[in-house]
Amino acid sequence: MKGNGVRQSMAWIHGWLGLLAGWILFAMFVTGTASYFRPEITRWMQPEYRPRPVGNAEAARTAVAWLQKNAPHDEQWTIYLPNDRTLATRVFTRARPSPDPKAPRPPRRPETRLDPATGVPVEARETRGGEFFYRFHFQLQLPHPWGRWLAGLCAMFMLGAILSGVITHKRIFADFFTLRWSKGRRSWLDAHNVSAVLALPYHAMITYTGLITLVAMYTPWPILANYAQPAAFSASLYADTASQKASGQPGRLADIGRLVEAASAEWQGARVSRIIIGNPDDASSTVTLLRSSDDRLNARSASITYAGVSGERLSASPPLGPAIETAGVMLGLHLGWFAGPLLRWVCFLLGLTGCAMVATGLVLWAVKRRKPGAKPFFGLSLVDRLNIGAIACLPAGMAAFLLANRLLPPMLASRADLEVSAMFWTWFGLAGLSLLRPARRAWIETLAFSALLFAAIPIVDLVTIGGGAFDGFFLAFDGTMVLLAAVLGFAAWRLARRPVDAARPRRRVSLAVSEVREAMDVA
Amino acid sequence: MASAQDAGRGWSMAGRCLTALVGGYAAAAGLATLLARLLPVARVEATAWGMILSFLFYAAFGLWAFHEPRLARVAGVIWGIAIVTGGAALLLGVRP
Repeated sequence: MKGNGVRQSMAWIHGWLGLLAGWILFAMFVTGTASYFRPEITRWMQPEYRPRPVGNAEAARTAVAWLQKNAPHDEQWTIYLPNDRTLATRVFTRARPSPDPKAPRPPRRPETRLDPATGVPVEARETRGGEFFYRFHFQLQLPHPWGRWLAGLCAMFMLGAILSGVITHKRIFADFFTLRWSKGRRSWLDAHNVSAVLALPYHAMITYTGLITLVAMYTPWPILANYAQPAAFSASLYADTASQKASGQPGRLADIGRLVEAASAEWQGARVSRIIIGNPDDASSTVTLLRSSDDRLNARSASITYAGVSGERLSASPPLGPAIETAGVMLGLHLGWFAGPLLRWVCFLLGLTGCAMVATGLVLWAVKRRKPGAKPFFGLSLVDRLNIGAIACLPAGMAAFLLANRLLPPMLASRADLEVSAMFWTWFGLAGLSLLRPARRAWIETLAFSALLFAAIPIVDLVTIGGGAFDGFFLAFDGTMVLLAAVLGFAAWRLARRPVDAARPRRRVSLAVSEVREAMDVA
Repeated sequence: MASAQDAGRGWSMAGRCLTALVGGYAAAAGLATLLARLLPVARVEATAWGMILSFLFYAAFGLWAFHEPRLARVAGVIWGIAIVTGGAALLLGVRP
């Protein structure tokens, strides 16, 4: 902590918060930004799967028919209905708990993806698809619950860094317009300021709302203060379902399609996004339908519960108070489901400014401490190497994940895991190899390698799936890969042609201006 | 001599980080919990306000811990708030 002024102390803590969490935050920002296109990535990664779209009610019927055949006695079924972005119906089942009260609660079984028209499991190459980036974004490929805790801690550091960064910057409006290229450290500071300030409301929003998505895990204490049974809190948000006990008498579900249509009519035509069926083979079964939030900011959906056998409407979720509405909108803002194609691209670009903000901040930390001609001290070399590994090598890993999807034989066993391995081997392998090169060359070469891998994606796509790639969706996806390759390539090219460590003498005028600015900064 | 001073500074910084990270969380959780328990609005609403605001409290405590130069004051205020709010929430018990 230097000095006693609030801006000095905030600048100091800003640096440390950003440095300590920066590498993980960069990976979270990049994979989170990619997750705006989670269904599209999955779709691209199963190119042979092109189903005939059917209505919501029909998809619900085929899914229930499959579940009745394959998991008839389970305690609960959850069905995610397809929409215009997600092609397959996703179902999860949970087995009935053992009568022994000491036995652990049975876990939710892995997801099965069904064809909405036929109700049979999707026949396509095995892959984690966009789900992988989405999960990595907040679980960091660590065992539960440690990944979520680490992601939460990094998000808190981000929140602290944003708040302290705002306090440090008096000239927020001027920084908006200030980007001086090719001025060494100044340029990195400007780039950090521009990327941070330009999208400041977005960064603050995405960080805070990200914490809110897991608030029940991070800060459950307010629930404990108000509820003797913590489960009652979440139960009070949805239509009452969990309280229904199995009667032990067998019962058969009424036509699910009719319930889907009834709920949709009650919501003025809004789609049903999710169906939760409790005790499906019992006389007291319940069917809860959740409203899609594709058309609204609030992601906490309204729900209606029906009696499974008679189809009688039992209850509906209560109207939301301001606090729950606020939490729901925060969740919705983070997930971005409300965004149509144009707005989704805007969100994606804003996410990229977040990546740029973290990356330039990390680079700035190193550049500020580098002395021309002096040998870098250990900490500086370490930061420099970690920056290369995190910023320049992660994109190569992500590209390798997509390339592995096309290059591994479609019928290979456990190929989904191999795709994930391809990402980590490429990412960490490249970072390891880059240690063999001087830092500057390592930056240029790893960035160029990442660019090459992204550029290879459309070519490999074309070679492996042939004519299938000439489809609007696949062309757009491959085109985006070319753009990403261009951005990475541009970064490598600029680094390569820049004189070593901004040896270029600064002109007197700009020197004077920057001295005045720095004096203003400190004042 | 200088190294002893450095060691002292190191310990003081470690204490400050611990206060910000753990104490800040405890104080924010305590404050959010007490707020949720005492707000005169519906149970579910009060719970949600407490949860929504908790991260703001945490961030504020964390940053202030690195702004205030006197470590004793930092530790006293943050751990004090944690103990007082947490204790009050415990004494009050679950909302009837």
